Amino acid sequence: MTKATYTLPKILNSIKPNNIMRQLIMIILGILSLSSCVAVREYDKVYLNDEEMILATKSLERFETNFQIYREAAAGANGGKTGGGCGCN
Amino acid sequence: MVDVDVIKKKMKKLGFILFFGLISWAGFSQGNNQEYVKKVLETPEVELLYSYYSQDGNNAAVTGGEGTEKLTDMTPTIIVSIPLGEDNVLTLDAGISAYTSASSSNINPFDGNNTASPWVESSGASKSDALTYFHPTFTHSSKDRNDIVSGNVSVSAEYDYFSIGFGGGYTHLMNEKNTELGISGQVYLDTYKPQYPIELRQGFFDNRITGAGTYSPIFSEFNALKRNSYSVSLNFSQIISKRLQASLSLDIIYQEGLLSTPHQRVYLQDRSDFFIEDFQLADNVEKLPFNRFKIPIGGRVSYYLNELISLRGYFRYYYDDWGVTSYTGSLEIPVKISEKFTVYPMYRFYTQTASDYFYAKETALSTYKYYTSDYDLSAFNSNQYGFGVTYKDIFTQSKVWKFGIKSISFRFNQYERTTGLSASIFELGAKFIMD
Repeated sequence: MTKATYTLPKILNSIKPNNIMRQLIMIILGILSLSSCVAVREYDKVYLNDEEMILATKSLERFETNFQIYREAAAGANGGKTGGGCGCN
Repeated sequence: MVDVDVIKKKMKKLGFILFFGLISWAGFSQGNNQEYVKKVLETPEVELLYSYYSQDGNNAAVTGGEGTEKLTDMTPTIIVSIPLGEDNVLTLDAGISAYTSASSSNINPFDGNNTASPWVESSGASKSDALTYFHPTFTHSSKDRNDIVSGNVSVSAEYDYFSIGFGGGYTHLMNEKNTELGISGQVYLDTYKPQYPIELRQGFFDNRITGAGTYSPIFSEFNALKRNSYSVSLNFSQIISKRLQASLSLDIIYQEGLLSTPHQRVYLQDRSDFFIEDFQLADNVEKLPFNRFKIPIGGRVSYYLNELISLRGYFRYYYDDWGVTSYTGSLEIPVKISEKFTVYPMYRFYTQTASDYFYAKETALSTYKYYTSDYDLSAFNSNQYGFGVTYKDIFTQSKVWKFGIKSISFRFNQYERTTGLSASIFELGAKFIMD
C-alpha cells in the first residue's frame, strides 16, 4: 500500500516567509492600523467623493486592462480579468 | 462540440429581452413608488463604449517567435445599469471584440496569393474573428448601505473559444464608511476548439516542402480541451484623511486544463528545418503546464491636491509558479481645466521576468517537457503613456431621446515594449441617464 503524498504548489514553496510575506503582512497591518484613525464624517467627504478620486479602474479603462492581459504575463489585482474567459495569458 | 453561432444568436435574443424588459420594469416600478427613499441608483444609466487598438511587432507566437504581430481590434460595448427597487441594481454588460490578426492568419500561411512567409499576412479564415460576450451583474445593498452583495454570470464566445463564468462578492463598510472590506470569487469554465497550424493537421501534404530528410514533426493533438479558472479576491480600502484614501487588493488565482495556445508554433534546436517557400514548418506547438497559480497584490492611492488637480496612483506586485515576477506602477493626474472639462495625463510602467518555459526561436530542445516562444511570456519592460479628456454635464442638459448626456470621455495611450512590440489604443465613452 502506498502512502498518499501531497505537495504544495510551487509558488507556496518559493515564498520566503522572511521576505515577501513579511513585507505583505507589514503593508496590511500598516493600512489596517489606519482604520483606527479618526473617521472622516460624511459631510467632510466632499473631496473624497470627487469622481476623480475613485479607487478603481474607470469603465473606459477596461480596454487597456484587456489588452495588457493579452500582452503581459501578469493579471489581476486591478479589478479586471485575472485569467480565463478569454484566450489570454 | 459547442455550436458557437447558435449560442451567439441566443445571447443576442436574451440580451434584447432582458434589456427592454428590465428598462420597462424599472420605469413601471418608479411610477408605483408612494414614498421617496434614496435609491442606490436613481435612474437607469447607459454607457456606450468603443475602443480601437492596433499593434505591430516582430515576435509573433503563431510563427514561433519570429514574424509579424500586426493586429487591430475594435470593441463596441454597451453597459446598462437598471435600478430594481430601492436597493438593487442590475448591470447588463455586452460587447463585441472584432479583430484582424496577421499572425493568426498564418495558422494557414499557404493561401496561394503571396509567397508564404511569417512576415506576410495570409488571407485565410483565421485572419479575423469576433469575441462576443454578455455579462449581467446583480447588486443588492442593505438599507444602511453598509453591506453589498453581488452575483454575476458571463458568457463569451469566439470561433475557437467558448467561456461560461459566474461569481459573487460581499462588501462590508464600517467605521462611518471610512473602511471597506470585500471578498469576491469568480469561476470561468472555458473550452477550446483548437485550430492547429495547417502543417500539423492530419492529412497535410505539400510537394513544395524543402529540407534535409523527411518532415516529421513531434506534434500530437491535445486531449483535454477544457480550461478552468478560479479566483478569490480580497479587497480593503481606507479613508486616511479628508483628501487621501487608499486600497489594497489581493487575488489568488488557480487555473487548470489546457493553458497552451494550440496554434502557437515552436521551432526546436535539435530538429531539422523544413520550409514551404519562405515559411518554416513547425516542429511542435507550445507546451505549457496544465495548471498555474498566480498571486497579484495591488494597491491604489488617490490624493485630492486642490480643486484643480488630483493624483491617482497604482502599484502591483505579481508572482506565479511559471517563474514570472512582475511589477506595475502607474500614475494619472486629473486636471480640471474648467467646470465641465478634465484632462488626464497618464503614465504606466511594467516589468516582468521570463517564464521558466520561454525559449527564443530554435533554442528549446525536443527533450524539454515544456516550451513556448510566446514573447508575452518573455522578460521585458513596457512603458505606456497617454492622455484623456472628459466632458461632464451634471445637469444633463443635452438629450438623446429620453436620455440626458452625463459625460463623454476620450483616452489615447501609446504602449512600447522592449521586445519591439508597439501598440496604441483609442477609447471613447459616453454615459447617459434616463430622465
